[in-house]
Amino acid sequence: MTTYRLERRLELDARTSALTRVAGAIIAMLVVGLILMLTGRNPFSILMDALDAIFGSQRGMEGVALRAIPILMTALAVALSLRLKIWNIGSDGQFLMGAFAALGIGIHVDGPGWLVLILMALAGSIAGALWILVPALARAYWDVNEIITTLLLNFVAAQLVTWSALGFWRDEGSAVIQSTERVPYTLAGIPGTDSLTIAILAPFLLTGLLFWLFRSTTIGFEIDMIGGNPKAASFAGVNVRRRLVSVMLFTGGIAGLGGMLQLSAPGAQQLGPGFSAQFGLSGFIVAALAGGSMFGVLGGGFFIAAMFFAGIILQTKGLSVFIIFAIYGAILTGVALGEVASRYRLVRAEAAGVVA
Amino acid sequence: MRSKAYRASNELRIQVSESESPFAIEARGISKFFGGVAALDGVDFDAAWGEVHALLGENGAGKTTLSNIFSGIYRAEAGEVLVNGELQDFRNPAQAIEGGVGMVHQHFKLVEPMTVAENIHLGWPDTPRVISQRALEERTNALMAEVGLHIDPTAKIWQLSVGEQQRVEILRVLARGARVLILDEPTAVLTAHEARELFTVIRGLVAGGRTVIFISHKLNEVLEVSDRITVLRNGVREITREAKGATAQELARLMTGEERTLEVEHRTVTGDAMLELHDVTARNDRGVVALESVDFTVHAGETFGVAGVSGNGQTELAEVISAMRSVDSGTITVGNTDITNSTVRAITDLGVGHIPEDRIGVGMVGSAPVKDNAVMRNYWTDELSTGITLSRDGVVDFAKRLVEQARVQTRSVYATAGQMSGGNQQRLVARREALIAKQVLIAVHPTRGLDVLAAQEVQTSIIGQRDAGAAVLFVSDDLDEVLLMSDRIAVMYEGKIMGIFDRADADRETIGLMMGGHSPAEVSAT
Repeated sequence: MTTYRLERRLELDARTSALTRVAGAIIAMLVVGLILMLTGRNPFSILMDALDAIFGSQRGMEGVALRAIPILMTALAVALSLRLKIWNIGSDGQFLMGAFAALGIGIHVDGPGWLVLILMALAGSIAGALWILVPALARAYWDVNEIITTLLLNFVAAQLVTWSALGFWRDEGSAVIQSTERVPYTLAGIPGTDSLTIAILAPFLLTGLLFWLFRSTTIGFEIDMIGGNPKAASFAGVNVRRRLVSVMLFTGGIAGLGGMLQLSAPGAQQLGPGFSAQFGLSGFIVAALAGGSMFGVLGGGFFIAAMFFAGIILQTKGLSVFIIFAIYGAILTGVALGEVASRYRLVRAEAAGVVA
Repeated sequence: MRSKAYRASNELRIQVSESESPFAIEARGISKFFGGVAALDGVDFDAAWGEVHALLGENGAGKTTLSNIFSGIYRAEAGEVLVNGELQDFRNPAQAIEGGVGMVHQHFKLVEPMTVAENIHLGWPDTPRVISQRALEERTNALMAEVGLHIDPTAKIWQLSVGEQQRVEILRVLARGARVLILDEPTAVLTAHEARELFTVIRGLVAGGRTVIFISHKLNEVLEVSDRITVLRNGVREITREAKGATAQELARLMTGEERTLEVEHRTVTGDAMLELHDVTARNDRGVVALESVDFTVHAGETFGVAGVSGNGQTELAEVISAMRSVDSGTITVGNTDITNSTVRAITDLGVGHIPEDRIGVGMVGSAPVKDNAVMRNYWTDELSTGITLSRDGVVDFAKRLVEQARVQTRSVYATAGQMSGGNQQRLVARREALIAKQVLIAVHPTRGLDVLAAQEVQTSIIGQRDAGAAVLFVSDDLDEVLLMSDRIAVMYEGKIMGIFDRADADRETIGLMMGGHSPAEVSAT
C-alpha cells in the first residue's frame, strides 16, 4: 500500500513559495465562486465584471495603481521591519505623520514648487521616522514590545490629524468642516496618464533598493543575521541595538514618505479624517503574506489594490458590500494558507512494514 | 466513593508488586525507522531486577530511541517489549509509568519557581485535589525516606544545584511507581563529584530491588556503575556482557567500530606571551561579580586549560576576551595590543577566534543557510566585501571550502544550518573559528554533546591550532578532557582562579577538590 505524508521542506525557493500563494488565492476564489453559485449568483459574470473593471480601461488600471502606492509604501516599511523580526504595526500612524509634516511645509513655505516638494518629502520622511523613534529606542534598550507601542501611536497620529483639520490648520473657507487648508503644490504627472504622478516610481525604486540591500550588501546581511539570531549577530560584531534603531527609523521614514506622496497627488492636497483609508492595515497584510520578500510585496500590493478597486466597482453593480468583504477575506485566507502549505511537500511514505 | 478515594490518596504509598519474572524489562527484535532509515534494527535487550544495565553507544547509535520505546514516547515498528515478563505496548509515557517504567531525561522538566514538594506532586494522579503545603511536604518526606534520597522539600527548584534537581526528577518518576528507571545521559550535566553521588543513589535503588538502565557514552562511568553493559552501534546490538573484566579500549572499539584513541603530546611552555589577563574583574548579566581579579598568561603554542564546574565564570571569561562583555577593571592584551573593552570586530581582526559554549544560541544563526553561517565572522574582510557590498560568489566559494575542510555533512551550502546534526554544526563553527584564530583560540566546552569520533576531530583540530603557534584557552567542565588537552591547567571557582598547575604536576584529586571550592592550602592539608 502506498501512503502519502507531509514532510517539512528543508529549503524553500522563491518560485515555490510564490506559486503556492497564487494557488491558495485561486483555490479560495473557486470556493467563493461555488458559494456564490449556490446563492443563485453567477460567479463568472462577477469575475468578468471585476476583470473588466480593472483591465477594461486605462482609468481602471490607473485607479489600481493609485491605490497601490500608499499600500506599497506601508507594506515595504513593514516588510523591512519583518526582516529584523520586528513588527511595525504603526505604519498607518507614520504614514499620517508624514502627510501631516508635509502639509505643514506645503502650506507654510513659499517657493518654487520642486523645492517645496523636496522639502515636503524630507519632512514627511523625518516625521515618519520620528514617529517610531520612541518605540525603536524602547525596544532596543529596554526590550519593550514594539507591537504595542507602534500600534498605540497610530491612534495618537489619527487624533493629531483630526485636531489639525478641526483646529489650527482648518480650512476656514471650506464647506467641509473636517479638512485642512490645501497644499498648492502637486507632483508632476506622468505623460499619457490622467491621474498618475511620479509617485508611482517610488515603490518600484524602493523595492529595487531593498532587494539589492538584502542581496548584495553587508548591511542587508547584518539585518538578516539580527532577524535570525540577535545573539549570533553580536557575536559576529554587529552593534545590534544601533542597527535595530536605525532600521526601524528607516521603516518609519518609508511610511512617512508614503504619506507625503499621497498628500501631493492632484486632488488630495489636504488632510481630513478619511485621508488614510487604513492603508497601513492593508500594507501590513501584504507584508505579512509576502513573508519578507520585497518582490512579493510588490506583487501583493498591486493584487490587493486591484481587489479593492474591483470591489468598489462591483458595489456599483449591486453586489452587497458584505459579500465583497467576505470575498476579500476568503482570498487573503487562501494566500495565508498557501504560505503555510509552501513549507511542506507531499512525499510517498513506504508503509512501515515494507522497509523492515 | 469519592471521599474514600480522597482519604486513601492522602496516605502515601508506593506500589511494590512482587516480581514474578527474573527480568524487569526485555526487548525482542525491536526495529524503528525514521524516514526509511533504521534507528534500531532487530535489537534484543534484557535487564534483570536489581541490576544496573548500561546502554552504551555513540550519538545516533539508537540508545535514546530504545529508551524512548521503553518509556512510551515512540512505538516500535517491529518486535515486542516485555515488562516483568508481560507483553506491553505503551502508547505514551503515562502508560509506561503505570506499567512501572519511567525515564529521567537529560533536560529536566521541572518548574523552577515551585518547590521540590510541589514539583514532585505536579501532574501526579495520586495528588489529592485539595492539600496543604505542609501535607505536600510530609508526603514528600515520606517518599524520600522510602527511597533513601534527601532534598529539602520546601526548597525552590532554582535554588538547587543541577545534581539536586536531577534527584528531584528521579524522585518524581519513582513516586509514580516506576520500578524500572531509565536515566538518559544523567552525568552529562553533573560535576565529577555530583556524578559520584549519583552512582551511590543508583546503587541504593538497585539494592532495593529496582532496575536502572543507564545511558551514556562515557566509558569510565559505565564501567564504574553498571553490572552489565550493552553496546549499540548504528541501531544494532554489538554485545551484552558483564561489566566486570571489560576494558575501556574494548568498549570504545565496539562503540566506534575502530580502534583509535587520541594522544596529545604535552609541552612545556616556550613561546611568547600571547594572551594576558591582568587583574580582570567583570559582572554577569545579573550584575553579580562573575570574574574576580583574574590573572593569567597564555603563551604562543600552548593550550591553557580552565577546569571548573559550569557557571563559575568560564562563560564570562571567554566573553570578556572576545569583547562580548565589558570588564569593570583590569587589562587584557593580545600580543602587544591592549584589547580591554575593545570591539568584537577589532579583536576578530586581530586573530582571536572563539568557539562559544552555546554554538546554536550564540555561534550561529540556525534559520540561515550554511553559507551565511560560514562567513558570519569574516564577511566584512577584503576577501568578501568592498565595505558596502558583499560578494555573493565569494561567500559561496568560501562556504564550500570551509564545509569541505571541516568535513561538514550538508546537502548544500544553501540548506539551513539548524537542520544539520549537532556534530556538523560544531565542526563548522570550530573550523570557522580556527581560521580566524591566528593568535588566540578560545574554546568553551567545544566537545559537549559530541560522540567520541566527532569529539576527537574537534580536539585534533584544536591541537593543530596550538601546534601552528596559537595560544589556546581551553575551557571544559570535563576534567578528564582538560587533563587530556592542556599543557597548563587553571582551576576556576566562583570567578576566581584557585590555582595554576603545569600538566606534569596536575593531580586529578587535587584539581577536583579545588573545583569544589577548596583552597590549595586546604587540599594539601587533607
